[in-house]
Amino acid sequence: MDLEKSIMSLADARGVSGDETNAAELALSMLKSYTDDCFIKNGNVIGRLGCKGAKPHILLDAHIDQIGFTVTHITDDGFLKIAGCGGIDRRLLLAQQVTVLGRKPLDGVICAIPPHLETDESNVPEMEDICVDVGLTKARAEEMISLGDKIVFSSKCEKLQGDRITGAALDDRCGVAAVLRALELVKDKTLQCGLSVMFSTQEEVGERGAKIGAFDIEPDIAIAVDVSFALTSDDSELKCGKMGGGCMIGFSPVLDRELSQRLKAVAEKNDLPYQIEVMSGTTGTNADRFSVNKNGVKAATLSIPLKYMHTPVEVISLSDVENTAQLIAAYITEVVS
Amino acid sequence: MTIELLEKLCRLNGASGDENKVRDFILAEISGFCDCRVDPLGNIIAEKKGASAASKKVMVSAHMDEVGMVVTSVKSDGTLTVSPVGGIDPRVAIGRPVRVGDGDICGVIGAKAVHNLSADEKKTAPKFASLYVDIGAEDKAAAEKLVALGDFVHFHSEFSAFGDGFVKGKAIDDRFGCAVMIDLIKSELLYDCVFTFVVQEEVGLRGSRTAAYSVDPDFAIVLEATTAADIPLASGEKRCCELGKGAVVSHMDRSTIYDKELYRLSRETASENGIGWQTKTMVAGGNDSGAIHISRGGVRTIAISAPCRYLHSPSCVVKLSDLEDCERLARLMLEKMCTM
Repeated sequence: MDLEKSIMSLADARGVSGDETNAAELALSMLKSYTDDCFIKNGNVIGRLGCKGAKPHILLDAHIDQIGFTVTHITDDGFLKIAGCGGIDRRLLLAQQVTVLGRKPLDGVICAIPPHLETDESNVPEMEDICVDVGLTKARAEEMISLGDKIVFSSKCEKLQGDRITGAALDDRCGVAAVLRALELVKDKTLQCGLSVMFSTQEEVGERGAKIGAFDIEPDIAIAVDVSFALTSDDSELKCGKMGGGCMIGFSPVLDRELSQRLKAVAEKNDLPYQIEVMSGTTGTNADRFSVNKNGVKAATLSIPLKYMHTPVEVISLSDVENTAQLIAAYITEVVS
Repeated sequence: MTIELLEKLCRLNGASGDENKVRDFILAEISGFCDCRVDPLGNIIAEKKGASAASKKVMVSAHMDEVGMVVTSVKSDGTLTVSPVGGIDPRVAIGRPVRVGDGDICGVIGAKAVHNLSADEKKTAPKFASLYVDIGAEDKAAAEKLVALGDFVHFHSEFSAFGDGFVKGKAIDDRFGCAVMIDLIKSELLYDCVFTFVVQEEVGLRGSRTAAYSVDPDFAIVLEATTAADIPLASGEKRCCELGKGAVVSHMDRSTIYDKELYRLSRETASENGIGWQTKTMVAGGNDSGAIHISRGGVRTIAISAPCRYLHSPSCVVKLSDLEDCERLARLMLEKMCTM
């Protein structure tokens, strides 16, 4: 598998929380290279590998959804009123190009109060004042678009300098790619553990796919492979990892400390660069759901450093994805019952 | 005008002071159809022969430049600080892909993750001074190998047709005007006239000033794109002008009070020929007319503009029917003014 191509094709697929079909089907087709026992259930892409029935049963998870919008109303002049799906930064919405996933994908532009009527350029529009211009009359818009149709940012992945990649849905398609790459790395090995993979739905709106997926899968150990903050000049070193510094291993009261230590030891043993991400409570990832699944699951987070999270121009370093995949592969290879 | 020509023009990067790529493209397009020269500022002055000599010298003008940014420093982490070239609302720059320098290096203007914003930060759009461009360089040294201070930065966005008869893209202001002039130059005209593709409109109508001086016309037609606010958040006169209602013929903006007789003649000509026209319902904006109409001893000037939503953003929106109305009206007015 070509990691860069996989990341870019996954991140260019469309999958807003609640309507991940396009991205989920692509991820499923990629997962089929490693197991025939895979399917989509209630929005989650699930695959079973490894030694069936063996303990521990490990779940590798990355969420398939991305932030976006949903259409709530069509105005008399054919503009769309919208609501956010997931954490939207309203500061950057004006004049963004978007794709409305109507009966067919439709281009649109986000608008709000025009500049000549705006007294203060520092004003951030309220969601209720934001519209999407699709260049259609109300009647034509109603033919093409239903209330509840989802909207994504239109920007496509591009390569930056070095091994850096920018795109709109790298959170968390690069995590999906890391899991697939880990499966590639272990495909010729005989795993001693049980292994399930999940590309989960609706993380961005409250880790809902993780909750129902883990219920069915019943793992003993669950690793949420997600993204976390890479340091930028306008952010705090206390909250951020370093881009290019390797996988961020989470330590938190809600994570299994022994598992976190174990992942750290595996990284050291295999000379893989890593960083420690300390959180003082819940992690804001699917791990928060996994740990309290049924009678409890040992959970960990492995995070890929990412700049400009939830913007149309998120940035990652390819090496961090590869190193995360290497760490996952090394860990699941050495786990024995 | 073909949408393909407009697309080619809009895809070129040419902020004020960096119009070379646009100029080269236009020179190649019009070569053989007129006599061209490039003046010291970089304006193209194209003399077109018509079927007969004109009794009045008419200059048709559009600007080649677009709004953009310029690199002002390289930070220790390899990101670039930028200043706007022309009027850009920082809210349409944050969270966008861009192109840096002559080599069009891919970059982005990012934003601190929404998760880490304070309540106040969420409610306040950043100022331009706090934005920066990330090209993926690991540090300052890596960035400095690729980027020099003074390099220009351009928006990068898809040009596409969308909806029912609309197009969107960057730089439609004023590559639209350039496209109309290329069409006119390539067609058979009744009278001799002069076309000027000018530089530096967005930083103070500078190219048009020297072009008008050189051409020394009796009349001028400025072809532009102008702010339309026909969106749900604006009503009544605040909409300025509306897409689909035809060419905007101005009577007054912040740069010019247009020639009253020509304003009347434009309206009549449009109406007589079934061409959609409208005028702006606010005195807002300005264009190269501001420099041209007070050139030398004065030039009688009109502006014919395409109504354009989200002007000066990476996603300008215009309607094709309006572009056609503008082109038809410009051609008819040019013929009339040549013999006034």
